[in-house]
Amino acid sequence: MTLELKELTGGYGQVSVLKKETFTVEDGQVVGLIGLNGAGKSTTIKHIIGLLTPRGGQILIDGLSLQDNVEEYRKKIAYVPEMPILYSELTLKEHINLTIMAYGLDHDKTWEKAHELLKTFRLDNKLDWFPQNFSKGMKQKVMIVCAFMTDARLFIIDEPFTGLDPLAVNDLLNIVEEKKQKGCSILMSTHVLATVQDHADKFILLNHGQVRADGTLDELKEKFDMQNGNLDDIYIKMSNEDQ
Amino acid sequence: MTDLWKERLRRHQLNQFKYLRLIFNDNFVLAFIVLIGALGFWYSNFLDTISQVNVFGKPVVIILFWFIAQSGSVATLLEEPDSTFLLVKEKDFYDYFKAARNYSSMLPVVAVALVGFLMSPFAFKAAGLSVLSIIMLTIGVVIYKFAMLNFEIFGIYGKENFKGLSIKIWVNLALVVLLILSSYLSSFILIVVAAILLGYAVSRSQSICESGQLQWQSAIAKENQRMFRIKRFYNLFTDVPGVNSKIRRRKWLDFLFKGIKEEQGNTYLYLFARGFVRNNEYIGLFMRLTIIQAIMLCLIDNFYISLIVEMLFIYLVGFQLKPYFKETMQNLMQRIYPVKQSDKIKDFTKLSMFVLFVQWVVSAFAILYKFGFSVNGLIIVAAGLAVLVFVGYFYIPRQLKKIF
Repeated sequence: MTLELKELTGGYGQVSVLKKETFTVEDGQVVGLIGLNGAGKSTTIKHIIGLLTPRGGQILIDGLSLQDNVEEYRKKIAYVPEMPILYSELTLKEHINLTIMAYGLDHDKTWEKAHELLKTFRLDNKLDWFPQNFSKGMKQKVMIVCAFMTDARLFIIDEPFTGLDPLAVNDLLNIVEEKKQKGCSILMSTHVLATVQDHADKFILLNHGQVRADGTLDELKEKFDMQNGNLDDIYIKMSNEDQ
Repeated sequence: MTDLWKERLRRHQLNQFKYLRLIFNDNFVLAFIVLIGALGFWYSNFLDTISQVNVFGKPVVIILFWFIAQSGSVATLLEEPDSTFLLVKEKDFYDYFKAARNYSSMLPVVAVALVGFLMSPFAFKAAGLSVLSIIMLTIGVVIYKFAMLNFEIFGIYGKENFKGLSIKIWVNLALVVLLILSSYLSSFILIVVAAILLGYAVSRSQSICESGQLQWQSAIAKENQRMFRIKRFYNLFTDVPGVNSKIRRRKWLDFLFKGIKEEQGNTYLYLFARGFVRNNEYIGLFMRLTIIQAIMLCLIDNFYISLIVEMLFIYLVGFQLKPYFKETMQNLMQRIYPVKQSDKIKDFTKLSMFVLFVQWVVSAFAILYKFGFSVNGLIIVAAGLAVLVFVGYFYIPRQLKKIF
């Protein structure tokens, strides 16, 4: 699975938050999308999943754009939002059923996967609960379960590490690794640089809606001329460039 | 301080007008007029059936007066930040509350007077009260309500209890006793006691409010609850931000979902059906309108009024389902499902047809009960079916397309 953004321009209303943003996510790659608040991380993600329409440029998943075939395009993506979004009227079990129906998945096989994931996140005894009874972290886990039980090839996770307990973060990273082994790609935006530094293959540094730099950690060190620096140092250096 | 009150009141009234304008839309006014007409018609018929004084007459009058005396409380219009920003002004708040009390007195007066007026023919015929007694009782309840509002202000200053029981309970118990005494013995009792009580409350209020301490937390919480009640009421008719409706599991209704096969084409039906049944707002609206309609149809034997009630209420339920679709569509996750837009509308149409069908069946029973298998009865039932098909198949799907 490859995701390509070609000179993507867009944003909300008349204001262009993204200006000719270009990057790719290759097969079996875990990519960290990094930038300050307001750099355009969430806007980029909203464009990829099709909640916003680009004003210019192209977004291709395996060469397919949203306009070519909406249903096929969407089937390839699973998304975990920053703030959990659940249906207040559905129980946990029904959320899983609904996702199975929406993505046209095989009921029994998917439930098998779901059970495994629910067990990992210690939600398997809460199948009949309503979202109002869940804490924020639990809701996030529900979103993760619903996303990772699908047959999607591209997983987009917005800020996965805030709100989850350390154990859950570890579990999530294991699941990400598993998907990666199967050739899926993962794009995650985050501020928790120390975690993403160890688990991503490639980083995209966004600044003012443009890709300031991208590549592996070593490539970034070279670009910023900081041989001994870590991701944190590079990030701060990039932020200081504005001043 | 009175300037602050005036400013708050202005803002509050603007807000209320905004919602009232939304509530009194064309559909509602039409339904309202028909409802009032039907109730008036029923009431006048009912009065005709009363030929002599009835044992239940006086108790009904007492209960109705007591209930209407509960309507309305002091609108303090306090806001959350007040307990931080206006803390220093605490001593000056007495004037503010006085203005609030005066403003809050208007609505109960109108409500009590209206109930007294509407109840008078009944009280005269069934309870055997003279016109003078009815007027005296109404005035007595009004004065008593003024006293109750004053006691509420004592509550804001922490004088909520008297001998271990809240003042509110004392006052309400006393009202029951006074109403009984005045309607069975002399109607002057209530008016005299109420006047004495009011005099006491007014003369004591300044010293109580100055010696007491303003209970910010509870006063703000009370005001928030009051606002929430109002908004929840408005929410029955229109969208009010910040009012979340309650969700109930209602497991015993799960059999309703049995017919929905778990396949991709039914994704949204699965969601809509469960949401409708479990969200108090929508099932509540449906139940209320269906029950009111059924009761009206059982009582009215005029062909034209019944015809209008049958058609109008089916249309109203259909019309009120629209916001439910809109609300569900605001969920971000459903927008990224690989499901066609047209499937969403198709599934919602299935739900609305089913809901309207249930309503139609219930109303048909009521009509057949009143009209029997006559031509008139069957015409009304058929007209209801026609509205059902029109609203379900043509009106709602077209409206929903506009939402996207």
